[in-house]
Amino acid sequence: MVNERESLFRRLSAACGGRGAAAEEPLPGGAPMAPEGDRLARFAETFTAAGGFLLRGPVEAAVSDLGEMLRAEGVTALFFPEDDAAAREIAEALVPFGPFHLTTGAEVRGGSAAVTAGFRSAEAAIAETGTIVETSAGGKTLLPGLIADVHVSIVPAALVVARTEEALAAFAADPPRNISFLSGPSKTGDIEQTLTVGAHGPKKAIALLLG
Amino acid sequence: MELNANAFGRNARKALLDKTLQEALGRTTGRFLAHRDAAVAAFPEFEATRERASRIKRDALDHLDTYLARFIEEAEKRGAIVHVARDAAQAREIAARIARDEGVTLAVKSKSMASEEISFNEALQGAGVTVVESDLGEFIIQLAGEAPSHIIAPAVHKTREQISRLFERHLGEPRTDSIPELVRMARRHLRAKFLSAGMGVSGGNFLVADTGSVVLVTNEGNGRMGTVLPRVHLAVVGIEKVIPRMSDLPAFLRLLPRSASGQVISSYVSIVTGTRRAGDPEGPERMHILLLDCGRSAILEGKYREILKCVRCAACLNVCPVYQSVGGHAYGWVYSGPIGAVLTPLLVGLPEAAALPDASTLCGACADVCPVKIPLPDFLLELRSDAREQGLKTPGEIAAMKGYAGVMKRAGLLEAIERIAGVLGQFFTKGKGIGGLPYPFSGWTERRDFPAPAAQPFRKQWKIKRGARG
Repeated sequence: MVNERESLFRRLSAACGGRGAAAEEPLPGGAPMAPEGDRLARFAETFTAAGGFLLRGPVEAAVSDLGEMLRAEGVTALFFPEDDAAAREIAEALVPFGPFHLTTGAEVRGGSAAVTAGFRSAEAAIAETGTIVETSAGGKTLLPGLIADVHVSIVPAALVVARTEEALAAFAADPPRNISFLSGPSKTGDIEQTLTVGAHGPKKAIALLLG
Repeated sequence: MELNANAFGRNARKALLDKTLQEALGRTTGRFLAHRDAAVAAFPEFEATRERASRIKRDALDHLDTYLARFIEEAEKRGAIVHVARDAAQAREIAARIARDEGVTLAVKSKSMASEEISFNEALQGAGVTVVESDLGEFIIQLAGEAPSHIIAPAVHKTREQISRLFERHLGEPRTDSIPELVRMARRHLRAKFLSAGMGVSGGNFLVADTGSVVLVTNEGNGRMGTVLPRVHLAVVGIEKVIPRMSDLPAFLRLLPRSASGQVISSYVSIVTGTRRAGDPEGPERMHILLLDCGRSAILEGKYREILKCVRCAACLNVCPVYQSVGGHAYGWVYSGPIGAVLTPLLVGLPEAAALPDASTLCGACADVCPVKIPLPDFLLELRSDAREQGLKTPGEIAAMKGYAGVMKRAGLLEAIERIAGVLGQFFTKGKGIGGLPYPFSGWTERRDFPAPAAQPFRKQWKIKRGARG
């Protein structure tokens, strides 16, 4: 068999006229988002617009509201990454507020029948779009935001950036296997164009903004 | 996917008589458009971002040899195995071989138009692999054994009753008319598949050359699940999806969801790069990237290069009066609407799809909404002229067009014809519509009246009005 890759690049080079490396030219629209007066207020607005629910810290104050929200969704099992102290603290603080028990991501992945809430610390949040950023960098798990029925993100205020560019800058050179932008709950409009939550991912996305 | 593009006329007639489809089309395209317009209006930087995205794509295509080579090198450096397929047959062969070599028996797939081009599912089924579509719309039409009818809303032509009947027959679920209940049924069924599948198959909205990353934009979260949970990840992507740098991505993330569904951002964006790293608790141990040429390098070489800038947002479908009337199936292949009318003939060969460039009023709305500024109406015209040169027009069509051009070039002749038509029209129809013209004009009058010619031609009315104004 001829080497398909070589043959493809012969065709491409012929088409591109062998012009080699691209010239860098200044592009319009580089910094289109006007600086937001208040990143946190903007994030609260956009996260809510994306269908998420925002709670403000401190933890002690937010826990009872959070417990109520989880009970309303029928949640009984809570899980968090082993090495995520902030997520653990909140999940453990919640136990007295409902018929909640603690479980693990592995157990939920194995097919737990309970309605679950997954807790995880965000690595960044984007005010422009109401986005929670989670990555696999440093061996972090993605399961709480992936397979749980309700996802609770813990967002330290210092990690809220204004624009998408700032969130991506950290990964521009050597990205981890997975960078996920999560903006509100999982949605579908595939049946009669009716917006319905919980297609595959979480039905409810909650962010707990601390500090 | 089977090609049936030259039957556009017959397909369109069928679509126009389908009441369910007509209702769905009106509802869907109208809603998408309204949401898109609102999102664009609320984003003052839309034009500047559009210009930026268009330039990035043009640069990426002008130097695709460089950027694609970079993408492959970076992806392989991070553990991915990159395959290149010249055509659909070769792509099917490679996909089947990957599945066999990886020992996969069940694959979950998220939406990918590129995979439709190569009839991916059939290829894997031929290799003994069950492929389950995980996008809800795609899942529904897979159960129904049909093809998608809209790029981002593949099941727009199905009602909840039809979907519930499908779920009853294929999943053993009780009948319901609740949409949330139907979504729950699909979620439960598909979750089990995600947890047991050996391979997740995805498309790719963008490929980042600098890092070897594949970017997926979804709302349901299926793309994310399929690229995190199964042991193997296979991405099937066209070679034209490359953008140079990670810093180019934000412009596209701002344009794509706004143009597609009027969202500021879709629920999920996944940027996946290589295989799971040492110490990662999840992520695929093996990642394959199947890059499709399938006609793209030939397009790159010619005058239609800019069509490869397309980001598959489907805004041009929703805004197109022809698509609004006939829907996606009428176009007889993977891509529909204005983008389909240009891309299909270029990918499959003009003789196989010469009917499609004619399926347009050339109103220009598609070019107005395109987030990467593809000159779609110019391309439609150019393809019509190519069709003429390649002898794909009938002598009758050519004669009629020559006659039309002859009249339009001579103002006096046009005026005389208008005047005679006006007099005859008033005499025979008394100013009402004309019904029941003979063939070949019967197409206009079969289901509606052709408007009668005005007693006074437009240009005369114009002259009089201008005269009155002084």
